[in-house]
Amino acid sequence: MSLLRVEDLHVEVDGKPILAGIDLAVDAGEVHAIMGPNGSGKSTLANVLAGRPGYDVIRGSVTVDGEDVGTLSPEERSLRGLFLAFQYPIEIPGVSNMEFLKAAVDAHALARGEEPPSAVDFVKRARVAAMRLQFDPDFLKRGVNDGFSGGEKKRNEILQMLILEPRLAVLDETDSGLDIDALQIVADGINAFRANSNAVVLVTHYQRLLNYVVPDHVHVLAGGRIVHSGDRGLALELEERGYGWLDD
Amino acid sequence: MAGSTTDGTALAEMILAQGHSSYAPWLDRGPHLDLVERRALPEVRAEAWRHTNVARWYQAILEGSEPAREAHRIENPAEVEVVDFADPRAAELQEQRGEETYRLTAQPIAALNALLLGAGIAIRVPAGCAAREPVRIFDLPAAYQRVLVIIEPDARIELIEEPSTYTHRLVEVVVRPGGQLVHRRLQAASSHRECSLLAIRAEARACYELSQLSLGSDLRRNDIIATLAGNAANVSLRGAWRLDESRHLDNQIAVHHQAPGGTSRQTYRGVAAGRSRAVLNGRIEIAPGAQQSDATLNTKNLLASDTAEIYAKPELEIYANDVKCSHGATVGAIDAEAVNYFRTRGIDEHTARALFVRGFLREAIDDPDTAQTLGLIQ
Repeated sequence: MSLLRVEDLHVEVDGKPILAGIDLAVDAGEVHAIMGPNGSGKSTLANVLAGRPGYDVIRGSVTVDGEDVGTLSPEERSLRGLFLAFQYPIEIPGVSNMEFLKAAVDAHALARGEEPPSAVDFVKRARVAAMRLQFDPDFLKRGVNDGFSGGEKKRNEILQMLILEPRLAVLDETDSGLDIDALQIVADGINAFRANSNAVVLVTHYQRLLNYVVPDHVHVLAGGRIVHSGDRGLALELEERGYGWLDD
Repeated sequence: MAGSTTDGTALAEMILAQGHSSYAPWLDRGPHLDLVERRALPEVRAEAWRHTNVARWYQAILEGSEPAREAHRIENPAEVEVVDFADPRAAELQEQRGEETYRLTAQPIAALNALLLGAGIAIRVPAGCAAREPVRIFDLPAAYQRVLVIIEPDARIELIEEPSTYTHRLVEVVVRPGGQLVHRRLQAASSHRECSLLAIRAEARACYELSQLSLGSDLRRNDIIATLAGNAANVSLRGAWRLDESRHLDNQIAVHHQAPGGTSRQTYRGVAAGRSRAVLNGRIEIAPGAQQSDATLNTKNLLASDTAEIYAKPELEIYANDVKCSHGATVGAIDAEAVNYFRTRGIDEHTARALFVRGFLREAIDDPDTAQTLGLIQ
């Protein structure tokens, strides 16, 4: 059974069709890259998987570990192991990273029927993750993404992923706007996360990230459908030739 | 009396018929009595009571529902002098407080306080005192109460007003040159109808900081009058409120710059849910000659339901030409994107909104100690 299975997914936003029949199967232990030109529906796919309001699923299904998650709220999906790294992470002044992460970790623990971690244990764990993503020690006290640079925001998404340990991580253009150092930090974080028990879907414009995080499968999304799938070589070819040749 | 309308005249007549309180007989009640004799209490249509039905508060006064309490509950460091208003020493301190720049005697609500007064304390922090422990006021044993606070030159202290019920509390603060008062007050949610009046006079180089969290009550009105009376005085007013159900909070705040070089900062964050109503009238007045004053007022508000009401009105009145002055007021909704962000991390919608609101309020109450004291940190 695939960890993630998307079948014939049709999605509209404000009555406008965006996704026109997506089929995708992601197994545990795999990294899939989804590439495609602007407006092809990449971010819509990522957001629909996370259950973001405002997207109307017209047809098709999304299952995680065999369970249809189509009617689940964003928090229920998260508690079942789905994680979305946002393309534009939200700034929440006044709520510290510590509070935010602890609330999330507590919710996940309770959903598993476990005691939430003690504050001391949690801080230890969060500090380790913060160090891995090269945040200053005061990171936990700062407001969530408040005044963060673009790179810091993306690193924070990866940090949240490492702490929540999802089954499936969907990373929506986490590489965009990163300088080469930040890209390396983010890639190291993703590689540290990779395991036989989980899977990663990378939504990206460029193949640059794929030099660091080597995907098992590459899919090209265009006009709301997956028009081509291949291995890592496809990404290299796209970089060389652009998306135009796929129309032929 | 339920259901009847109570106007100021009826209340004035009741007070004149029963006679004023005999507590703290040294208190000069002449001007207050005069005001009541002229039947000059606010009427229901009074502009200053536009958003709060004053008759409902008068009714609370007439009903006198307040239970009698035994004694003051106050904690204070040894070096701080605390005197009951029944003690003649309080009269001396009242005398020493000096010029009454904020014209309390012209305030109708202060008149009611004086005429019905049942409990009062005077707090004097001696010159140069740097007590580390705060003065904590838990309770005063009457419905109408007064607190006089005198911070002598270069003294520094913290004053915490714990949640307490009263019909009217008047707090008068004088900060002498170079003195500093950090004032925190917490107004818990309640079903009472209550008013408070806080009058501050900051003398030269004095520093006064207020952080206040209000959770609203059946009817709550907070009047604050801050006067920067000496050169280079510094006043910071920070307020946060979070209302739900049908709670009501009306903040009427005025900051008067009367001397040159003063700085005032006003930061307010408010959230109204349910059928609650929150009001902020924030006024900055810069007197002629108060050159190089620097005054700002910033208020942001969130409507958390379709039936809540928020009124936010900053006002400027400037009579000097070399000043810096700015104000801003916004009213919006809880950020749906932010709530979704929380939810994608497994946090349920109710908790997400609560965390968001708390974070929003902490923009006004940003100091961690104060946020802790006021219960804004878990």
